[in-house]
Amino acid sequence: MASVTFARSSIARLAFLQGMLLALAMVAVLGGVYFTTLRIIAADGDQSIALEAQGLAEEFRDRDLDAFVTSIVDRAEDPWVRGGVYELRGPRGDFLAGNVVVLPDLVLLPGGWAEFDVAVTRGDANASRLIRSKVLELGGGFRLLVGHDVQDRRAFRAVMLRSIAWAVVVALLFGLFAGWWLGKRISRAAHGISDSAGRIAAGSLGERLPLTGSGDEIDALVGRFNELLGRVETLTTTMRAVLDSTAHDLRGHLNRIRGAAQDSRRAATEPAQAAAADAVIGEIDRLGDTLQGLLRIALAESGTAPLEDVDLSAVATDLIEFYQPLAEAGQLSVTVEPALTVRGHRQLLSQALANLLDNALKYGRGTPISASLTREAGFARLEVTDRGPGIPVEHRELATQRFRRLPGSSGLPGSGLGLSLVAAVARLHHARLELGDAAPGLKVVLEIPTVASG
Amino acid sequence: MKILLVEDDRRASEYLAKGLRELGHVVEQAFDGESGLKAAETATYDVLVLDRMLPKLDGLEIVKRLRAAGSAVPMLILSALDEVDERIQGLRAGGDDYLAKPYHLEELAARLDALARRQHEPGAVGKLKIADLELDARARRVTRAGRKIELTAREFQLLEFLMRHAGQVVTRTMILEGVWDYHFDPKTNVIDVHISRLRQAIDKGFERHLLHTVRGAGYTLTEDP
Repeated sequence: MASVTFARSSIARLAFLQGMLLALAMVAVLGGVYFTTLRIIAADGDQSIALEAQGLAEEFRDRDLDAFVTSIVDRAEDPWVRGGVYELRGPRGDFLAGNVVVLPDLVLLPGGWAEFDVAVTRGDANASRLIRSKVLELGGGFRLLVGHDVQDRRAFRAVMLRSIAWAVVVALLFGLFAGWWLGKRISRAAHGISDSAGRIAAGSLGERLPLTGSGDEIDALVGRFNELLGRVETLTTTMRAVLDSTAHDLRGHLNRIRGAAQDSRRAATEPAQAAAADAVIGEIDRLGDTLQGLLRIALAESGTAPLEDVDLSAVATDLIEFYQPLAEAGQLSVTVEPALTVRGHRQLLSQALANLLDNALKYGRGTPISASLTREAGFARLEVTDRGPGIPVEHRELATQRFRRLPGSSGLPGSGLGLSLVAAVARLHHARLELGDAAPGLKVVLEIPTVASG
Repeated sequence: MKILLVEDDRRASEYLAKGLRELGHVVEQAFDGESGLKAAETATYDVLVLDRMLPKLDGLEIVKRLRAAGSAVPMLILSALDEVDERIQGLRAGGDDYLAKPYHLEELAARLDALARRQHEPGAVGKLKIADLELDARARRVTRAGRKIELTAREFQLLEFLMRHAGQVVTRTMILEGVWDYHFDPKTNVIDVHISRLRQAIDKGFERHLLHTVRGAGYTLTEDP
């Protein structure tokens, strides 16, 4: 059913959206924290490198070269205790002191900054450490590289990235779950509403939706819906009661008038009196027929008509056979598949089909008529086609409304209720009614859901 | 025929009583449920006509009580409620027939006639006979003057219905309900066409016609029109 796929896709959409939003928010927040933290750590490290470099530059200016070289050698002696990396080169690029050899190939960033890896042997293990360094031009062609071990920063970055990735995955999963749960809840409520709306449309007006008692928006919606149902029920019951008592009353009046008219018809001595009484009786009978037609439509539309399993094939066969004598030889072609059972009201179904056949014979005026009842997946398809004038597209909607008689039909007998009864009976049976073009002629299709066994 | 009419609508009751009396019946009237039930219990009638909704005691209730007391008198329920389902309720309560308002006097009279005569019939016998027309319901066989007549299943049912009401007037509505179980007016002369087909089958070629049209009322199957 369309509503189910809609609900499912809306849950999926909601869950996906929720998950994505939560994950995005996570990325934004953690990303911000990550970059800020890294910037602070980097700024801190760079400052201490810059300070040491500045100190060494002053030392180079204030002391003689040998003392300075010795100082660098001292500093470079045990690099991994203090974490310092040094390399001093003379004016011709000759190595004077230090614990790394990187300067000749080093590509410098603005400000003399550079990052590189050095291989360190600790015990038996070889490890690669990240060094951040600043290269100073000391004057006279001397160049000094001062670097600090920032391997911890790299490790920190990796840990940080891993944490963020996990957080995003968790957020995504959590979001998907939250979305799914929320969607499920909304969809359950929506389904409940839709299901009982269906049952109510089918006539079970006393039905109410259960409240969850949580007092949330869905509960509020259900409460409102129930209020609405209460009103609909009251209105419908009142309408039915009014309709019943009005019909009862009108029938009583009509009966008295008919009695009086018939009385005067029998007492009539002049032909003119008799004719007048006959005319009155004729009008009363037409009024009675119209009233009955309206009441049958009301019965079908109220949805309160008791339903049973009806052998539609038998109903159709009987009715077609009933109308057959009105058709000319060979005018009516019939196909009826056997054993099609629908849940329905036998008398109303019979009358609806009778109206269709009657219309076809009346408007078809001797043209070929076909009536068929065929089995389709899940429903019985009833089709009645004539080759008469048909109903123009713009009038088809109108044709199923009460008392609407189409242009050109004024010369033919009819109350203007025939197709409206068919439409009401179709609604009662959850059937699809279609007025189509047989080019030329009218094609009426009625698709009635069959019961499982039929 | 002696008829008890229980109807609270006095004017409708008067018109109906007058009409039935003019047709030669004896009519007694009651205007509420209680007095109707009392009358039905104390006197003997050929048929009862009861309005569905009556003051003091409902028409259906009267039917139920009389049936519970063992009464076999035919009862016709008149009602301004004509839903097809109401009708079923009326028949289920023990009523023999149901007629919606506004009714035709001829229709009502024909139905009362049919109800009263059914009382005197010797039950559902297999063989029916009018003049030289014979119908064997069990063998599903029809003969006229000894010659076999071929009928469709529905024509057979129609003839059987007419033969069971031989000598009486049957209306189109009675035929519709009794033979087809349709409770709507087909608005066409389709019943007339069915009758004329049947007439072709049973009367054609015979000097004496058995199936006759009663103007303004219906049909009758009889030897002496």
